[in-house]
Amino acid sequence: MDKQLARPLDDGRDYRTLGIVTAFILLIPVWARFIPGDVLHIDIVNVMVLAGIYACVVVGLNLLVGYAGQISLGHAAFFGIGAYTTAILCTRIHGFPTWLGVMAGAALSGAIGWLVGKPVLRLKGHYLAMATLGLGEIAFILFQQLKGLTGGTVGILDIPPLSIFGLKFDTDLKLYFVVWIIVMALMLLSINLMRSRVGRGLRALHSSEVAADAMGVNTSTYKVQVFVLSAAFAGLGGALFAHFQKYINPESFVLAVSIMFITMVVVGGMGNIWGGLIGVLLLTFLPQVIQAMPQWIPGLPSALQNFSNYELVLYGLLLILFMMFLPKGVADGLGRATDFTEVRARRLGDRRRAKKLEGR
Amino acid sequence: MGDRNQVRLLWGAAALVAGVVVFTLIYKGSTGLQWILSGLTVGSIYALVAMGFSVIYSSTHVINFAQGEFTMLGGVMMFTLCTSGGLPLWLGFLLTVGIVTLLGAGLERAAIHPLKDQSVITVIIVTIGMAIFIRALAKWIWGTDPVKVASFTGDKPLRFFGASIVPQSLWVFGLTLLAVVLVFAFFNRTLLGKGMRAAADNPDAASLVGVSASTSSLVAWSIAAAVGAAAGAVIAPINFAAYDAGAMLGLKGFSAAVLGGLGSAPGAVVGGLVLGVLEMITAGFAPSGYKDAVAFLILILVLLIRPQGLLGKPADVKV
Amino acid sequence: MAQKILGWKLPIALFCVLVAATLGSMGCGTQKVDTSKSIYKIGAVLSLSGPAAPLGQPEQNSLKMLESQLNAGAGVNGHKVQFIIEDDQSDPAKATAAITKLINQEGVAAIIGSSSTGATLAMVPVAESTLTTQVCCAAGTAVTKPVKKYVFRTPPTDSMAIDKVLGYLTGTLKATKIAILHDANAYGVGGATELAAKAPTKGITVVANESYGTTDTDMTPQLTKIQATPAQALVVWGTNPGPATIAKNMQQLAMKIPFIGSNGIANKTFITLAGSAANGVTFPGGNMLIPSSIPAGTPWRNAVDKFTADYKAAYGKDADTFAAHGWDAGTILTTAMKTAGTSKAQIQTAVQATKGLVGIDGTYNYSATNHDGLTAADLIMIKIVNGAWTQIK
Repeated sequence: MDKQLARPLDDGRDYRTLGIVTAFILLIPVWARFIPGDVLHIDIVNVMVLAGIYACVVVGLNLLVGYAGQISLGHAAFFGIGAYTTAILCTRIHGFPTWLGVMAGAALSGAIGWLVGKPVLRLKGHYLAMATLGLGEIAFILFQQLKGLTGGTVGILDIPPLSIFGLKFDTDLKLYFVVWIIVMALMLLSINLMRSRVGRGLRALHSSEVAADAMGVNTSTYKVQVFVLSAAFAGLGGALFAHFQKYINPESFVLAVSIMFITMVVVGGMGNIWGGLIGVLLLTFLPQVIQAMPQWIPGLPSALQNFSNYELVLYGLLLILFMMFLPKGVADGLGRATDFTEVRARRLGDRRRAKKLEGR
Repeated sequence: MGDRNQVRLLWGAAALVAGVVVFTLIYKGSTGLQWILSGLTVGSIYALVAMGFSVIYSSTHVINFAQGEFTMLGGVMMFTLCTSGGLPLWLGFLLTVGIVTLLGAGLERAAIHPLKDQSVITVIIVTIGMAIFIRALAKWIWGTDPVKVASFTGDKPLRFFGASIVPQSLWVFGLTLLAVVLVFAFFNRTLLGKGMRAAADNPDAASLVGVSASTSSLVAWSIAAAVGAAAGAVIAPINFAAYDAGAMLGLKGFSAAVLGGLGSAPGAVVGGLVLGVLEMITAGFAPSGYKDAVAFLILILVLLIRPQGLLGKPADVKV
Repeated sequence: MAQKILGWKLPIALFCVLVAATLGSMGCGTQKVDTSKSIYKIGAVLSLSGPAAPLGQPEQNSLKMLESQLNAGAGVNGHKVQFIIEDDQSDPAKATAAITKLINQEGVAAIIGSSSTGATLAMVPVAESTLTTQVCCAAGTAVTKPVKKYVFRTPPTDSMAIDKVLGYLTGTLKATKIAILHDANAYGVGGATELAAKAPTKGITVVANESYGTTDTDMTPQLTKIQATPAQALVVWGTNPGPATIAKNMQQLAMKIPFIGSNGIANKTFITLAGSAANGVTFPGGNMLIPSSIPAGTPWRNAVDKFTADYKAAYGKDADTFAAHGWDAGTILTTAMKTAGTSKAQIQTAVQATKGLVGIDGTYNYSATNHDGLTAADLIMIKIVNGAWTQIK
């Protein structure tokens, strides 16, 4: 039924797709400009900036979860470490370059990822999930308690906007391009990683750790390396977040945020390089769409219009349904759909050729 | 770590906890006793939530992230039935437990049973989705304000040795004791219970005795929902029920379950009580904000040093 | 295989669709919707869910009531008014997104929001950069200190509440040693820090300063620590249900020192939750909680009586101070728009020039250096006696 049409790994398809997606993404603001504000009731550019920031985290998390087969329910901690690092540096040291703060955020996140990753990644499955959850919670408590450093529950205000070599990115539109170029760069990095020996080792690790070990793949090193990479990506996203919102407090780094990240990976499709991106876009726009829908239909009774009552109900329900019917994620679902149509098309073509040969 | 070292570790942990408690009592006198009593009360609730986690995990190897929500529902339903509805407390209690048990069973059949062959992370996400769904539904129905449930036997504090507890705390202790006895007896003395334990490790052998993995899962979820709801109902007069009460309780109960050993009902009680007492003592000695960190520090330490917890069985948890 | 989904046919097709949609939509509508000539649109970002929901929900109720009352009458200079309300879910990130959307997409003339200090602070940069007047319903000091050109507020500030409490401590209770027990969130920390700083200037020593988590359900460890000090009064700074739990814990521990709450317990929920433990508790609140504290026949009293009656009729619940904050914010903006229309610059000028505007919380006076509107004199000390509020003279 489902013919797995074999395809060699090195056919450059991924790069071609990356090019197309990049062009696509860069054109969205142009398109959004021409939509009247009260038609969609969604600020597309603003939502896309946030989606891009989350994508930084999710791309790395996808490598960890989808390719290396590990779990992390605490990645909001790394997101937060990146955010606080750049926020503290840029607000305490006058004139500290923001781009350096962003890099420092990514670096520190990666370093802490290495410190905690080494002991914790010895665990597997549920136990690893629990341990990362605990670490994420501890990070949140530290964000709240270390008042001198982080501003405690009040947080850090007046974070300067991102500026690189004198160019200030203080509007949503300007930030949009920076963020998404970074995301595409991270995607490029991921594609290259997966095609390298490290990537093959990771895939071996995912399917069977024991077999991979027997074959000489250094599983524990690879696991930690991917963990560190995903932590650094998350820190990068967090730092960009700080310069986007210009105000951070611990509430932005709670467990629910970690869960959101992992959900984006799983719903989008693990083990697929584009899964993370799909998951991010889907789960960032879905609440917006649900919230805006009542406004698309004029004259809806006001009880239905007060959306915040049922946004989360729908969200939880959709999560459950997604996992039940698309457990391998949307990417896989789309893949199977296009496989199906391709097979049908091919069969149709074959039949036509056969008819022609028979001279009918 | 070898077996002998493991035993030494257990004795060491027990000695440490006992030492902390004794030190608190001597150094802080009746104030310390107050902390410990408060700790036992809140710890009993952790124990009941932990029992829910344990029951489901030992039967199906699933971590139910919605466990805290059963407890939350127990509280808000008591409000609706008794405070708003005027039903007598005992009737409200039974109805609350009954309704939430049915809900737990329903969720298991609808969302967990169809996913029995899926990966760990898929099931985790589903239970997370359930938690979000239940919490949002509760917010829709009951609103955001905390609500009051009357204490079962009044509020006059009972005092001894300079410390005090409210009568409701005794109900909490009583329920915890009853629950652990019933659950332990079920899993160790009844055919169904023993079969369920077997089904987790050896499904074929268990189905020969008439207990399929499917039955096992359904019964486990029902028990977990019942225990959780009962816990919520009995703590509601002290804690005030609200739609978001489940989140923190779920996490703390979870840490307690890991500490005591996932899959062990007595372990859940030990874990819960120890966690509750240590939390209150920490709040007494240190800046209270760090109290919440106790649960997660314990969680991580247990996972790194002895993942099966105090009373659990060793499992293949490390590489 | 799943890799095939983005085989190049599909993205090319999507690309073409996007280009077509762009060209197509260029034909319709205007680029940005200016506030329509006939409807005055005011955006509101409120916390309708999350921890600050008890603040945001009444504010939303008030704005809806104000909208229907204005539109049933003459409107604002003949223009109908529409409050476009967004929920920030008590989350600063969502508040920023909401205000950006309201200003860019909906083209609102002014903004109300948010209900809590954290979310309000997150919105301020957007308001300032888009030159949009923002009237908030949050009491945190940081919002107007330092004064920001476009940001105003309606509630009495936490500072004013603290001054009132200190006045009560020194004047009526004649206490010289107090203990503070505060919520660990931004509201509690802000209040406690300021209280601890100001108390010594009034001759009061703070002998204990403890905190509790917003979701904590047992504060006996902190209270036992306080019991061991020579504190003569306990000031609790937090919002429900924490203070209710504290009141019950104090009853359990047989603590006799007076419990003085913050403006966070100025609602019936505290009394419901704390039950008999609520009696004897004092807190600073608005006059509108006890209408009889306002002289009869005055415009203020008439406004309060009408507001509370209308609110009760429309929503079946008693109006609380949060409802008043929302109503007043809406009134201030719509009054300003009578002279300023939808010009953002003129709205800012008109609001800042507001003098003697009688609201529900009190009479508002703004200036270039004062964006707070009310003063400490607009608060009274209230004591709970037999489950009801009475004014302490």
